[in-house]
Amino acid sequence: METFNNSKPILLFLLLPCLLLYSLIAFNSSSVEAAMHTNNWAVLVCTSRFWFNYRHMANTLSLYRTVKRLGIPDERIILMLADDMACNTRNKYPAQVFNNENHRLNLYGDNVEVDYRGYEVTVENFLRVLTGRHETAVPRSKRLLSDEGSHILLYMTGHGGDEFLKFQDSEELQSHDLADAVKQMKEKHRFKELLIMVDTCQAATLFNQLQSPGVLAIGSSMKGENSYSHHLDSDVGVSVVDRFTYYTLAFFERLNIYDNASLSSLFSSYNPSLLMSTAYYRKDPYKRNLEEVPVTNFFGSVMETIHTDAAYKALSRINSGRFEAQTSLDQSVHHIERRMPMKVNDQEETHNIIPEGNKQLLQGEEGASKCPWSTFCNKFRKGENVDILVNYGLVAMIPLLVILTWLVQ
Amino acid sequence: MEKLKKKIGSISFWKWVIASVIFRLILIYFPQNLNLSSRPEVSTPLTSFRRLAEGYWLKQSSMSPYAGSMYHGSPLLLLLLGPLTVKRIEGQPNHILYSLVSVIADLVSAMLIRATGQNLQLAYLRTLGSLDLVKQIEGSEIHPSGDVAALIYLCNPFTIVACVGLSTSPIENMAVILCLYGACSRLIPLAAFGWVIATHLSLYPAILIIPVIFLLGRGPDAPPWKLFLQRHQQNGMLNQSKLPPGFSWGPIIRFAFWSLVWSVYVLVLCGISLKQFGGLWEMFKSTYGFILTVEDLSPNIGVLWYFFAEVFEFFRSFFLIVFHVNILFMILPLAIRLHHRPCYLAFVYVAIFSMLKSYPSVGDSALYLGLLGWFVNEFSDMQFSLFLFCGYVGVSLLSPVMHNLWIWRGTGNANFYFATAMVYACLQIVLVVEGVSAMLNHERKLRRLITGKTQDSKSGLLSDSSP
Repeated sequence: METFNNSKPILLFLLLPCLLLYSLIAFNSSSVEAAMHTNNWAVLVCTSRFWFNYRHMANTLSLYRTVKRLGIPDERIILMLADDMACNTRNKYPAQVFNNENHRLNLYGDNVEVDYRGYEVTVENFLRVLTGRHETAVPRSKRLLSDEGSHILLYMTGHGGDEFLKFQDSEELQSHDLADAVKQMKEKHRFKELLIMVDTCQAATLFNQLQSPGVLAIGSSMKGENSYSHHLDSDVGVSVVDRFTYYTLAFFERLNIYDNASLSSLFSSYNPSLLMSTAYYRKDPYKRNLEEVPVTNFFGSVMETIHTDAAYKALSRINSGRFEAQTSLDQSVHHIERRMPMKVNDQEETHNIIPEGNKQLLQGEEGASKCPWSTFCNKFRKGENVDILVNYGLVAMIPLLVILTWLVQ
Repeated sequence: MEKLKKKIGSISFWKWVIASVIFRLILIYFPQNLNLSSRPEVSTPLTSFRRLAEGYWLKQSSMSPYAGSMYHGSPLLLLLLGPLTVKRIEGQPNHILYSLVSVIADLVSAMLIRATGQNLQLAYLRTLGSLDLVKQIEGSEIHPSGDVAALIYLCNPFTIVACVGLSTSPIENMAVILCLYGACSRLIPLAAFGWVIATHLSLYPAILIIPVIFLLGRGPDAPPWKLFLQRHQQNGMLNQSKLPPGFSWGPIIRFAFWSLVWSVYVLVLCGISLKQFGGLWEMFKSTYGFILTVEDLSPNIGVLWYFFAEVFEFFRSFFLIVFHVNILFMILPLAIRLHHRPCYLAFVYVAIFSMLKSYPSVGDSALYLGLLGWFVNEFSDMQFSLFLFCGYVGVSLLSPVMHNLWIWRGTGNANFYFATAMVYACLQIVLVVEGVSAMLNHERKLRRLITGKTQDSKSGLLSDSSP
């Protein structure tokens, strides 16, 4: 048994890297920090059927056009239209949808991607989209693949009433259902901020029950008030747009993608006498000052750019994985694991954010701690040195084997 | 005279080694490695080179290497061999670095086989000496089993094809041989390392722990204990120094410790490299789970694919258990019968699991055919040796033909190919059975010699008549 005494230092020598590795792994499950705003989503829902509800379709399609114009791509828009007005047999202008009697804009161009159409627009599907609980066969284009850095715009239009919204003339979405879905979304970290915009009668009652933080809601009318359509198009034969949406669009048509008009300017642009109802918004769950929030935070897709001097390695595949890790730098590795499968949407958003800037942030942290251990742990958290560590471990196996064989002989 | 013979023997040995290495290098320079890596006999879902490259690419794209059920090997192999799959050198064939690694692995395996064989032969001569049988055996020719085994391993067409066909079998074989070498030479960390790596790379070498335990506890192959007792009973006294040592547990405990150390090391490394992709459980599901549940039913030279293509879902688990227990059943009886010959037991185990594993390839057969060379002296009067040799040659020629008829020309069907696979399995079974009976015959011969001697010494006068 002498060899056991001989091998005690070797045992310790072997245990040390094991302890090191274990502590590194334990180190990484640190606390969650606030997420950065990284992407924008839009869920646009029109809940009405029948030809005479043409204006609801036009409302939704106008918002769709605006949101796309200001930068949100189709992959991040979920468009739910309960009926088909463009190709309706009663449409005098087939495959065209207008929101103004001057017919200046055809909202139904050749670039409209409807995700849920016709009978697929149900309360169940709507709640599934919000909470992300789909059947396994549902394709990615029909899912809301947001994460904890997303700002979501939820726009709903149709017929509504006191604490409900009518879907397809046969079922209702109630305010507590909506509040529950939003609460689930918050629990699952499916959004950073949510703007709910409702254009129905008594719209403000729909978000009475909302309590989740980070949610801002605006409705076109208060309890007891109706929302009215703006004007009738005698050529098409129906009203083509609602007042609330009309004035919202009027605000946005003046904007382009580079403007930084704030949400408070949007909300204050609603004139109750023009709307013939009071546009009421609820901002108590929303902690930020509306003057500081640009509308493009929800309606467009403009990201913060950090300028660096380092070269951008766009084509290296390893780095593309690392960019995802670095955009959520303040988060722990825990979050990176969850975001790994959702590669598709984040590539666009993150290409402006370049590693060196984050390295400067890191160095700031390091300056504060001045500990090589935390440097190593930070680098490890970044995820790039994992492979190198395993490589070292693997390569060290051979000399370790030789030494041990020679010693224990 | 003996020394000269030995010197000539060793020179011709090295000539053959260099010739086989040069032959491999020549074959590597053929275009596309002669398309050997696309042959189902050479590359299985576990050893395929294309799957290794795919796993490496997936890892580099920050996805789990097991995504899409393409790669089913160890993540450590990805780290070691992965970069070699993409590195290209100007003016050289595509995967020259990887082929060179396979060639080096084959060479190292051959050297280790030679060393173990020499070890075995020394032990054999020592036991003969302690049985006082040297004079009887000296007359008959004893081949240097180490050299023969190494040459069989290197010059075996199966090994060459597995090496040039860019499969990972040379590395798996190297691990198994490292384990046996370490156990034979009593280098316990080395044996533990070899065993852990062999089990990690492919599941089946785990059963080699039993011969390794016997090797460490008792030492290399020796005739049964009974023979020694019989031999010395005739002298009327028990000469302790000439008896082989008894079973010792110390080395086994050390082996357990070292294998624990190495397994923890390997598992920690794998766990770190797969931390983002589901960790160790994902790895076990995709490697061991894949081997045990036989998910991929593409044709190979084994017999499981055909059977599991037609078995009903209801009975699938039952038949999986049957096929795997088929290997496990044979462990205990063989261990009981051949416990005094652990290297031979290892050979039989390797032959059995190479034959009955879920995705066999010719690289696995190369391993046990090489180990066969250790026992050329005992197998000198094995029955059916010509039949087996012709059978192997026939199967290796017919099997690609049948595959071509089935897949490419469409004039045959799966039964054609499966027939050659069945014949191959039959040949392997006959080899194992005849090998075991040849070994038992050899022991009977030894016993006859000893009891013959006993008779001679007892009868005294009658012994003068023997030459």
